[in-house]
Amino acid sequence: MGKIIAVHSYKGGTGKTSLSVNLAASYARRGKKVCLMDLDFRAPSLHTLFNDHKAEYWLNDYLNGICEIDKLLIDESRDYANGGKLVVALANPSTEAIRDMTAKDRKWEMKALGRLLSLRSSLLNDNDFDYLIFDTSPGLQYSSINAIVTADVVLVVTSLDASDINGSRRMTSELYELFEKKTGILVNKVIAEYLSSKEERKKFDKQIKSAYNLPILAIIPCYCEVLRAAGDFIFSEEKPDHPFTENLDTLATKVEKF
Amino acid sequence: MSYSTLDAENTSRTPIMAAYKKLEGKSTQLLEKIRESLEQLNEKIDVMIEIQKHGQRQIPENLPEALDVMTLLSLPDHLRKTAVTLCKLEEATADKVAEQTKRARAVESGYLNQLVVMGYMKKERRGRKAYFFIDKDA
Repeated sequence: MGKIIAVHSYKGGTGKTSLSVNLAASYARRGKKVCLMDLDFRAPSLHTLFNDHKAEYWLNDYLNGICEIDKLLIDESRDYANGGKLVVALANPSTEAIRDMTAKDRKWEMKALGRLLSLRSSLLNDNDFDYLIFDTSPGLQYSSINAIVTADVVLVVTSLDASDINGSRRMTSELYELFEKKTGILVNKVIAEYLSSKEERKKFDKQIKSAYNLPILAIIPCYCEVLRAAGDFIFSEEKPDHPFTENLDTLATKVEKF
Repeated sequence: MSYSTLDAENTSRTPIMAAYKKLEGKSTQLLEKIRESLEQLNEKIDVMIEIQKHGQRQIPENLPEALDVMTLLSLPDHLRKTAVTLCKLEEATADKVAEQTKRARAVESGYLNQLVVMGYMKKERRGRKAYFFIDKDA
């Protein structure tokens, strides 16, 4: 039975999309069948990285009940070992679609939750996907909470910004715990000097552990090369030997066993 | 006693046996009916208790409530667990919900009826079983 992973954060710009994409690629490289989904309908982003000209239907259409999920899945697999597959489902980036999605009422959101929940049977059970990875909107909004309710595991990406740590902690007690979700923290874009020596690293680990009462699944340094890539390509695919890729592979293993 | 006498005796008793069997069938049916009525009565009492506890709310027909995630968040923990489970199952008996939540059937039945009274779910009897579901098109 596959797993649904929601990648969420309190604030924007924490690196949810970058980590979602590279986590998905890491699983595909190890022979898994993965579906990466853009559930950030207010600020869609996966379409810039993948071939959106192939898209006839969007996740918006699936949630609106206009089409079934198979109509919008785009196969982005490369020559992955052991038959690994990477399939993406994109959010419609047009202004009109964004406006439409922000004006939905409670009843629509209730139906959307039902549509998301039924992906478990259509993709995990009937189509043998090993992982569905939801890239979500930041903060407390309908689309991200729907994703969290549907997921088996929530990965919370956080920076070291005080307001981000504060907000993520509040979400832990007021959101993830209320839905009894398995939740892990990913600290992203950590300044290199915090991790420069063993002692510094120990001190840092301790600080992070005391800030969150949750398992810390990854501490990822800020790499200039990743920033320079500017989301133009899947970093871990182009740079398989980079420490960022190693970090992501370790994370993938941890989440697998989580 | 020889077989022939036994046969003779049996033959003489046959009408009585048949009448007895018929009677037995009828009483089983009757007991079954009583059991069903008691179950229905029990559920009605559950609903009445809920209404008494929370005051007479507007009945669901007048006020369909959407069970969206923000509403789920606002529910007390014990009801949220039941409600989320029913969202996942789409439609289920109290037994099925209890199987998922690992709580007693009677407990889940109480919570489900409470959610029905609150207007978040609907209940439908089919034969002897009561099915709970979320009416998405209300």
